[in-house]
Amino acid sequence: MADTPAIQTRQLVKRYGRGTVALKGLDLTVEPGEVFGFLGPNGAGKSTTIRILLDLIRPSSGAVRVLGQDPTANPGLRRDLGYLAGDFVVNGRQTVRELLTYLATLRQGVPATAITSLAERLDLDLTRRIGSLSKGNRQKIGVVQAFMHQPKLLVLDEPTSGLDPFLQQQFVELAREAAANGQTVFMSSHVLGEVQQACDRVGIIREGTLVAVERVEDLRQRALRRITVHFASDVDSAEFAALPGVSALSLEDRVLRCQLAGEPDTLIKALARHHVVDLISEEPELEELFFTYYEVR
Amino acid sequence: MRVLTKSVRDNRRGWIGWAVALAAVAAMYAGFWPTIGKNPTMTEAMKAYPEALKEALHMEDLTRPESYLGSTVFGLLVPILLAVFAISAGMKAIAGDEEAGTLDLVAAHPVGRVSLALQRFGAIVAAVVVLAAAVGLTITGLRGPAQYPEVSAGNVAATSFQLALFGVLFGALAYAVGAWTGRKTVALAVAAGVAVLGYLADSFLPQIEGLKWTQDLSPFHWYLGGDPLSNGLDWAGIGLLAGVSALLIALGTWRFAHRDIATSRHRRMMPALAVVGVAASVPTTARAVPAPARG
Repeated sequence: MADTPAIQTRQLVKRYGRGTVALKGLDLTVEPGEVFGFLGPNGAGKSTTIRILLDLIRPSSGAVRVLGQDPTANPGLRRDLGYLAGDFVVNGRQTVRELLTYLATLRQGVPATAITSLAERLDLDLTRRIGSLSKGNRQKIGVVQAFMHQPKLLVLDEPTSGLDPFLQQQFVELAREAAANGQTVFMSSHVLGEVQQACDRVGIIREGTLVAVERVEDLRQRALRRITVHFASDVDSAEFAALPGVSALSLEDRVLRCQLAGEPDTLIKALARHHVVDLISEEPELEELFFTYYEVR
Repeated sequence: MRVLTKSVRDNRRGWIGWAVALAAVAAMYAGFWPTIGKNPTMTEAMKAYPEALKEALHMEDLTRPESYLGSTVFGLLVPILLAVFAISAGMKAIAGDEEAGTLDLVAAHPVGRVSLALQRFGAIVAAVVVLAAAVGLTITGLRGPAQYPEVSAGNVAATSFQLALFGVLFGALAYAVGAWTGRKTVALAVAAGVAVLGYLADSFLPQIEGLKWTQDLSPFHWYLGGDPLSNGLDWAGIGLLAGVSALLIALGTWRFAHRDIATSRHRRMMPALAVVGVAASVPTTARAVPAPARG
């Protein structure tokens, strides 16, 4: 059972009325225990895929297996799923605790402590009426109800949109903890930056098909970092030009500029032979790399 | 049962309000019985009304309390209010929740679609039964004070039971259309249309030569046509009300279990916005490609 993919789709097609084709033969495999980012622009088919996994909509053709089971035939399968919708809306005329307790009873057997500890961690007041909460606080409710029963598979549709940076960080930790706990996390986003911290792999969906699946680590390896070094005395550019990963090198007035792919170790060691006044390393632009990558394809 | 109890809890305040209001309307009508039914001047005045009008309003004989209560309390405002209540609750059960986007959350839980839908409808049945019981108990309680002890408590109960079925029928219709289409307005339009036509078919249409048969199609006729206040339970009417309700519930639930749940209106707009976004960004790349070819 350990090898059963958490999610597997084969030639998944979804047509809506009025001739819209949302998915055009999606093949997707998510391994158990990984955090998988599902990336693509709005309208690419991310939510459609997610709603099929939850059996909120049915595929026009193709096969879906969630934790090895067909979601349409097994509503009980959803006991092992946690779901956060893209725009999490609930009836506002109830308190946070009322809603969460109700959802917990639908799942049968969620300890009350799981709710309170998650709520505390996200700084969510359980006694407030939902209608009186801000958008960010409502999103927290969505996060709590998705995580509270420690499901085998978390399906999260744009989970970090609407969360402030602190909460985004909290969320990343929750996702990583879940993965460490053996749970699988499948989350969609239209911005790589939002999920790169949390994810092991990212799949890129565009116009209803999966165009690429990449390890975030590999992306990072290929991503280019901009390096600027200020020296105290003159140096020879030839000393650095041949180093692995270094490109677009220029040297002017004792200031060296270059792009660097992969680890900076060899470059640092080469630099260490000189008196370095200043060193600036700019974050790798994963986003740029990512978009050039799938624009070209 | 958890979905059912949650529906009841979420709506209890509104439902209690409805029960009180319906009981008050029933009490008001019943309270007028001594001044109308037992009033010779009123009886004289009624004689002057055209027969057709009296027949249409089922007011042929206002000197009998069964007939008075049948045409007033049980015949007009109470069933219409109950139908309004049931239609409103029925259209919200699935379609309202779906349009608001709040159905997704529950449907993503380990609850089967059929069970979810039937529990939601079950809550409506419970509410309708409570409302009909509130009316029935009020009318029973007023037998002494409002001077109609000859109307049997058993027949009042029978009529209230048929009133409940009448409410359930309209709830089932709104529920079924809503569950089938996911559209609240469609459910409302169909159910309200049937209610109006049903009322006409039991009142004015039969007065027209050749349209007498329309009465047999009216839920109002199924409910009161057998005069349960005088005769007790009318099994033919009960069978029609219950049978048609069951059919509607089955159809709506079957379709709901097999169709896609729509995203909320707000989200339905998102792809449209995305298209605008794509339209705005595509021309830049699209133009960039053919330009050299032309040049």
